[in-house]
This record gives sequence, structure tokens and C-alpha cells, in this order.
Amino acid sequence: MPGAVVALQDVSLLRWMKDEYAYDLKNQVFSILEGRHQKQTRKLVLADINVEIQRGEKVGLIGANGAGKSTLLKTICGILHPTSGQVTATGNIVPLLELGAGFDPELPVIENILLYGVLLGSSRKAMLEKVTSVLQFAELQDYGSVPVKVLSSGMAGRLGFAIATDVEPDILILDEVLSIGDEHFKQKCRRRIDQFWQDHVTVIVVSHELEFIRQSCDRAIWLDGGRVAFDGPAREATSRYVSSIEREALETIARLR
Amino acid sequence: MVGNPSGTVGTRFYELVAILTWRNLKVRYRGSVLGIYWSLLNPIIMTAVYSAIFNATFARYYQGSALRYALAVFIGLVAVNFFSAATAQALPSVVSGGMLLNKIKLPPAIFPVSMVAAHTFQLVAGNLPALAVITILIARNPYHLLLLPLPIAAVIILSMGVAFFVSSLYVFFRDIPYLYELVTFLLWLTVPIFYPVAIVPEQIRAFLWLNPLYPVIQSLRQIALDRATPDLRLIGIALLEALIVLALGWLVFAANRRKFMDFV
Repeated sequence: MPGAVVALQDVSLLRWMKDEYAYDLKNQVFSILEGRHQKQTRKLVLADINVEIQRGEKVGLIGANGAGKSTLLKTICGILHPTSGQVTATGNIVPLLELGAGFDPELPVIENILLYGVLLGSSRKAMLEKVTSVLQFAELQDYGSVPVKVLSSGMAGRLGFAIATDVEPDILILDEVLSIGDEHFKQKCRRRIDQFWQDHVTVIVVSHELEFIRQSCDRAIWLDGGRVAFDGPAREATSRYVSSIEREALETIARLR
Repeated sequence: MVGNPSGTVGTRFYELVAILTWRNLKVRYRGSVLGIYWSLLNPIIMTAVYSAIFNATFARYYQGSALRYALAVFIGLVAVNFFSAATAQALPSVVSGGMLLNKIKLPPAIFPVSMVAAHTFQLVAGNLPALAVITILIARNPYHLLLLPLPIAAVIILSMGVAFFVSSLYVFFRDIPYLYELVTFLLWLTVPIFYPVAIVPEQIRAFLWLNPLYPVIQSLRQIALDRATPDLRLIGIALLEALIVLALGWLVFAANRRKFMDFV
């Protein structure tokens, strides 16, 4: 289909459950010898997902914790591979997931800019040219040669945001709306994100702030137990999601009586 | 622009390995210029200790020369130290990169590869010149200098293969380091580093060949210490064994690559 930048076809994903796993060779060998070995199980975390996202669309992902929202994002990014089905995503995907995960605390700020930039897909050469603008945006001009571990968490967050967004992504992935630093910096982040919003950037955002989804997204996908429960206009998706929560709450109360 | 849609998979892999290797070296040396030469300090001290203890007994196997014994020990230690340090540090590398793997699309192989690459840099910049000097002074044959990189390449390839293997095992079994410590100790002991091969009983000697470090170290010694032409077959065996280990290690790594994401 022309214009679709992200397409998921019959995507299902089974994941090994690591909380049930012992991570211990010695125990596993003994348990097999003693015949009490339990076979690892896999859990269905995404089931029959069919979604197409057009260029420039702003799509919200909503649903309860554990419904598979972050998993779906990771599948779109190519971090997780579907057990069955097809995922295609064209263009440059930039994930803004918990910023600063790529930092090495021992290294100076400038070297971390190069490191994080390359991890996110840039070349070292391209990042060298961007060091100044990143430092400027993060308001850390005086901290270029300071190790990242010395920065406050707010400063590190600013740095992460500045590196990850000093880009022109085709697809921007936001896991929860960002709230970094003080009011002043929040405004700055908001402006930069708004810019992506106005451009023809495709944005996929996970959020529990339904009001934000209603106002900023054209479309929302409600995930429930790894399945698409509804896919359509953001206003309708959020209200269906809310009424299902209310219905569940009422049922629970009724049962308790 | 961050993002490299025009870049090929190969250049992306190279960029990632280069920056992580550089990070590994930076973190290890913390900006000290003499950093890489620290890697010479360990084999020099060990050589001195072995010489002090064993020279009197073993020198007669080395044309009665204390120097030749010391150099043979030193060469053995350079190769074995490289192997055990590179693989031991690569072992937890996929797991420690797990947080990144969960956030950004990255080929997991960059973690063990960049760890072995950092040690390779240290080997080539810090230890290889020392081996070259020994070759010039003792073997006195410039042709030997051309052969020197071959067993060095073999030990690097070998370490890479083992690094792929142990780093993928560690994802699933976190008690592997204890086991691996034992394995490296056995490898270390069954390769003649501080003892001459001649003292190993004839029946046992064939088993030494099971240790892939054995042909590497023996050919390094021939190249650096003997005036006679080194045994090219030995170099060939060293390279072949290393390539087999690399292939096996990569097979295990590649087969489990996608499963890593559920366990790191």
C-alpha cells in the first residue's frame, strides 16, 4: 500500500518468560538428571496484530499495563522479531525510550555524545559536527569534558533528549511523554516535539495520559491482552477504553457484593 | 542527521564496533598514555618469577640458556594472557549490553566483537612490537617477521570464536564464569608455557594438540627464537583450528541471537 511507512501483517509474538527461568547451568543439569526438569514455556504477548500506519500519521497506543504496548513498539523498531507474521518499517526510526540508556558514566560528556549518537544510528563523523549544537540545546556548554556520572539526573536527561532529537527522524517512537528537567526545559522539549508533530514525521506514542492522546493524535490503537481491541479515531478509542475500564470496575464491585 | 538510511549493514556494524572498541579502551586506560604498555608489565613480571623458580631445572631444555627460557615463557604468556583476558571480558558483554539491546536495534555481535577488538589493539600495539624485537635479535631472520602476524591472527580468531560461544552461553547460564575459570586454567596448564614439551610423557603429548593454543604458541616460539625456518604446517594447523572454533562459536551465537532478547 503506498504511503504506509509501518505495516504489521498477522504479527504474533511468543516470548520466553524470564521470571520463571533459573539462569543456572548447575541446577538445570541436576534437575534433568533427577527427572524434575520443567520445560520452559513461552507466553503469547502479541496476537494477530494487523496495523498499517501512513506517512505523517500520529498514532497513540493505549491499554493496561502488560497489554503489549511497549512490546509492539519494540517490534516496530526491529528490536524484537515476530514469531509469525511480517513487520515492515521504512525510513529512519528514532526511539526516544528512557533517555540516557546508552551513556557510559565514566566517559566525558562529549565522548558520550559521540557514543550515543552512533548507537542511535549516526556515524561518528556526523556526530563530531553536532557536538556543539547538542551541548547548546542541553545547556551543558561548560560541561563538555566532565564525566557523565557527575551530571545530575536532570542534566543527563537533557543530554539524552538533545542527542536523540538532534535528528530528522521519519518515524519517531515515544514511550511515555517526556518530562525532563525543570519547567523551562520541558517547554523546550515540547517545542521540539511539536516541530516533529507539524512536519511529516510519523509519530507513534505510548501513553497513559489519555487526554494527551485525544488532543495530539489522529488515531489510537487500544491493545488488550496482546490483541488490537480497537483501532480508529483517537477520541473513540480512548472513550471505548475508558468505558471498558469502568465496566470492569462495576463488574468487580458487583462480584464483591 | 542521526540515522543512516543510506549506509549499508556493513558500515553500520563497523561504526558500532569502532565506537564501542574505543569506549572499551578509554574506560580501561582512563586517559593514561602509557596504558597499553601496562599489558607488557604482567607477562614481564610473570616471566621473572618463572625464571627465578624454574630456570635452574628447565634451562637445559633451551640450549642451556636462561635468556631463551625466559623468552619462551614470555612469548607463551603473551598469547595465553591475550586469550584469557579477551574471552573472560567478552563473556558478560552481551548481558551487559542487554539494556541497550532492549532500547535500540543493534546487532548483539557488536558487544563480544568490540571487546576482542579492544584486546587486539592492545596486543598489536603493545605486545607485537616486543615480539618483533625478539624475532630480530634472536631469530635474526627478516623473513620470520613476515610470518609473525600469522599465529597472532590465529590467536585473535580463536579468541573471537570462544568469545561468541561464552558470551551467548552467559545469557542463559549465569554460573558460567565459575566454570569458565576452570576451563581457562586447564587450557593454561595444558599448554607448555613455563615447562618444556620434552618433560611431558610421550603418551600424553598427543593430547596437548587438543588445546588450540598449543600450535599457536609453538609456532610463535619457532618464529621468534629459532634460526631454522619455522614449520609452516604448524602455522597452518593453528589457523585452521582457530577458524573451526570461530565457525562453531558463531553458529552457537547466531542460532541463539534472537532468543537473547527474552533473557538479557
